[in-house]
This record gives sequence, C-alpha cells and structure tokens, in this order.
Amino acid sequence: MKDLILIFISTVLINNFVLYYFLGICPFLGVSGKIESAFGMGVAVIFVMTIANALSWLIYHLVLVKMGLGFLAYLLFILVIAALVQIVEMFIRKFSPPLYRALGIFLPLITVNCAILGATLLMVTKNYNFIQSVVYGFAGGLGFTLIILVMAGIREDLEYADIPSVFKGAAITLVTTGLLALIFMGFSGLISA
Amino acid sequence: MGRQNLMTEFIKGLWKDHPLMRQLLGMCSTLAITTTVINGISMGLGVTFVIVSTSFFVSIIRKIVPPQVRIAVYAAIIATFVTIVDIFFKANFPKISEALGPYVPLIIVNCIVLGRCEAFACKNGIWASVWDGLGMGLGYTWVLIVLGTIRELLGSGTILGKTIMPSVYNPLVVMVLPAGAFLLLGFLLALMNRLEQKKQVS
Amino acid sequence: MKETIKIVSVLTIVCILCAFLLAFVNNAARGQIASNDTKKIEDAIGKLAPLFKKTEKLNIAGEEIYKLFDAKGEVLGYAFLAKGDGYQGVIKVLAVINPQIDKLEGIEIIESVETPGLGARIKEDFFRNQFKNLKVSVPIECVKENITQDNQIKAISSATISSKSLVNILNKKISELKKQLANQ
Repeated sequence: MKDLILIFISTVLINNFVLYYFLGICPFLGVSGKIESAFGMGVAVIFVMTIANALSWLIYHLVLVKMGLGFLAYLLFILVIAALVQIVEMFIRKFSPPLYRALGIFLPLITVNCAILGATLLMVTKNYNFIQSVVYGFAGGLGFTLIILVMAGIREDLEYADIPSVFKGAAITLVTTGLLALIFMGFSGLISA
Repeated sequence: MGRQNLMTEFIKGLWKDHPLMRQLLGMCSTLAITTTVINGISMGLGVTFVIVSTSFFVSIIRKIVPPQVRIAVYAAIIATFVTIVDIFFKANFPKISEALGPYVPLIIVNCIVLGRCEAFACKNGIWASVWDGLGMGLGYTWVLIVLGTIRELLGSGTILGKTIMPSVYNPLVVMVLPAGAFLLLGFLLALMNRLEQKKQVS
Repeated sequence: MKETIKIVSVLTIVCILCAFLLAFVNNAARGQIASNDTKKIEDAIGKLAPLFKKTEKLNIAGEEIYKLFDAKGEVLGYAFLAKGDGYQGVIKVLAVINPQIDKLEGIEIIESVETPGLGARIKEDFFRNQFKNLKVSVPIECVKENITQDNQIKAISSATISSKSLVNILNKKISELKKQLANQ
C-alpha cells in the first residue's frame, strides 16, 4: 500500500508528466486557454491513460514478454491507445456535444498525446506490477489535469495583463510553465528516498 | 512536379512553416532531450529519418487507406520506423541510446510526424512528401541543436562534452532542469516573433 | 459491409507488414545489442577488478552474479548488477565485492537517467571513488555532512535523493547477495 501512495504522490506532484517529463505539452499549450476545455481534456486523459496502462501492461507482460516479442511493444501500445481514443471520442460525441465541440481537433490528437504513450513506456521501464501500473496511469492523468487546470486559470487572467506583444501567445505560456516547474520543484523534498 | 516546387516544399520547413517555432509541434522531445548538443543532433536526425520514411510510405498508400482508420495506419507505420531507429541506436550508438532514454520511442507521438502525414503526405505525391519531410526534419534539428548548445553551455559549461567556460564559471544548473527548458524556449519564441515583426515593419 | 472489410483488411495488412519488417530488423541487430551489453559489463568489471582473468556466471534465482578469478585461479570477488528507482528513472549499477562480502571493491553506473549536472554526477569519479574499500558488513549510510564511520559515503550536494537511492539499491542487493551466497 505504501508503495502505491508513494507512486501516486510522486507522479502527481514531483515527477509530474508535464513539468518533469515534458509529456503532453502539445495539448497542454492547445487547450489550456479556457478552464472548461482544460477540464474536459484532463478528464479524457485520465480515462485513457488509466485504461491504456492497464491494457498495455497485460499485453506486454502476458503476451510480448512470454513470446519474446518485446520489439513489437511500441507498435502494439500505440494501436491500443489509438483504439481507446476512438472509443472515448464516440462516447463524448454522444453524451456531451458541447464538450465535443470545445475539444475540437484535440481529441484525435490525444492519440499523439505523448503523455499517454509515455506513461505506458515508463511503466515498462520502471518494472511496475499490474496494480502499480494502473495507479501510475491514473496519477499521471491526474497530474496532467492539475497542471493544465492551474495553467488555464493563469491564462484566463493573462488575457487582461499587459504583456509585451512579442511574448503574446505561446511564448508567455512557456515562460509561465517554466516558473510553474520551478515552483513544483519545491515538492521534491516531500519524499526522501 | 518541377524542381522549383520541390525546393519550396523543402525550404518552408526550415523557417516559414517551422514545425516547432511556427506550428508549436513536437515540444515534448524538444524540451526533454536538449540538455546537451549531442542529444539534440541525434534526436533531430532520428526524427528526420522517421518523418521522411513515413511520409514516403503514407504518400504511397494514401489512395487505398480508408479515412476512418487512417490515424491508426499512420501510427502503425510511424511506430515501425521509430522502433527501427531505436534498435539502430541501441546496436550502433549505445551511449546515445541511453542518454535519450524513453524519448526515442516517444518520437512515435511527436506531433510533427503525424502532423506531416495528416496535413501533407496524405494529399501529395511521393517526392513532394519526401522533400517536405526532409525540410521539416532538418528545421526541427537546427532548433534542437541551438537549444542544446545554449543549455549545455550555460547549464554545464561544456559543448559536446568539452569544457568551454572558464573554471570560475559556476554552471546555471537551472538550465538543464525542466524549468530552464521552458523559460529558454519561451524567450526564443519571443525573439522569433520580434524578428518577424521587424521584417513586417521594414 | 464492404467498407468494414476494407477497413479491417487494410489495417491488418499494414500491421502484418510492419511486424515483419520489425522482426527482420530486430533479428539483424539482436546480436550486436547483446554483445554491446556484455561488453559494457565486462569493461566495467575490468575497471573495478583489473586482475580478473576469468569469470564464472552463477545463476542464483534468475539473477546474474559473476564470480571473478585471477590468473592463478584465486577468487577475487563477486560482480553483481543491482537495479532500482533513482530520482528520475531506473539506476542500474555494477558493483564488485570482495570474497568475504564485507567490502566493496568499487561501483560503475551502467544505466541512469538522473538530472544532468546534479544527480547524473553519481557517474563521476569523486562520488564513485567513495565506494572503493567501503565497509558493507553493515548497511551503507549516506550522510550530508562529513564522514565519521567507514560505512558512510557523502551525498552529492543538492542531489541527495539520487545519492540515497543508489545507496538503497546497493544495500538491498548486498543483503540479498549475502543470503544467496550463504546458501550456495
């Protein structure tokens, strides 16, 4: 149990996917403009990431490793993710058309959200067991959502700030993210090895 | 298609439609691996190889792929070539493979690659796609090298592993940390906007 | 229906072709990768125990432990691989220990992805040299200040987590090793 809590805290706060591993920056820059769409994206990522990690773990450890086909891992992981995203897309389109419109082109782009493939790959390198992998996927998605929400809040205020014209748009977002990353470094003292 | 047009497809990736600075694609690996110059070079070339070869194949099969599964098909092709790059690095350059770590497989989800398949290769001929891919790849590479150079120089005081800064220089460790990467890229983007603005004024 | 068949068949064909291509490339490169790995481990052992002439691979519970002999056939010690979580990712370290299993001959970092300039300094000589002749009959301790005991090492400043993780990885493996070798 202790290791699960450790994985959870360190994945959400310390080794955050966005701020630490630089994963999922594209959707992060794309949908962090409004809190609403940021939240939708975050929820979709949590969902896809948790399930993708569970499925990938099963495929990797029960099929690929047993048959010595480790080199097919990347191919299968990305296919699992692509299929999952398709399902989520259909689901959101059916149940929440406004959310579907808000997320627009970013839903198909979740397939290429590095955070999701990144989570499955890291789960393999870190040699997690099944439960740990699922927790890792969930915490990773939660950490992503946390950052994207914080960022959306800041950016909504930035709209009214008087910033130099050359910094408008992505530049100021990146600088703000850098400052956020510095702040989150403070969390690294939370867990001592 | 004439030579002139192929040239245009190639050139546009280097500055005008630069994948990173203009389209903001492929941020993850850019920020993550540019802690040293050599990482930047190898990552850039790896990505270039993947873009060129996937553009080539996607362009060949563009007429027979049903639109509903095109993303999955592209992803499968990309994953294949990325695995090849990964195996190639592991076999021939184990040191680099180690330094890049999980970011080699992450080329699969580098939006630049899929972006080019989706925006260009699936609509254009083989040669145009290859040149377009090459331009985008090399455009990406030069920014990685610039970022790698600045971060390695300021963060560790070295370039390509050789000490450049005088020994009194106390490395700005933040430059090799994630935070420094975000800040630096933010300022570079601002600089690029500035250059564009000047161009428009004059 | 015709549409579905087309979708399924295109996707299947592409995947099969990709899998074949990968199998081919993987086969071609597998030997090279394996020999790279072996060479790396042998180089590392060579640095830590320059006198070794022959190794014997002991297979204990699926773990690879190498028994090292010098030219006369005397046992020089054991080399073992230990692996665990560092600050950012997995640290894989090769260590050589004396035949009595109470003193380290030294360590080499085989794999690590610690922060460059901070945690990555675990690879540097000033840090690694502390493990030479380190007493391991009791667990190694990692201290921030000056060393007072001969089972202590000094952590890299502002990279305490990486240093401590490495020590934990070694301690865990050494205590396992003691049990395993005692059973032999």
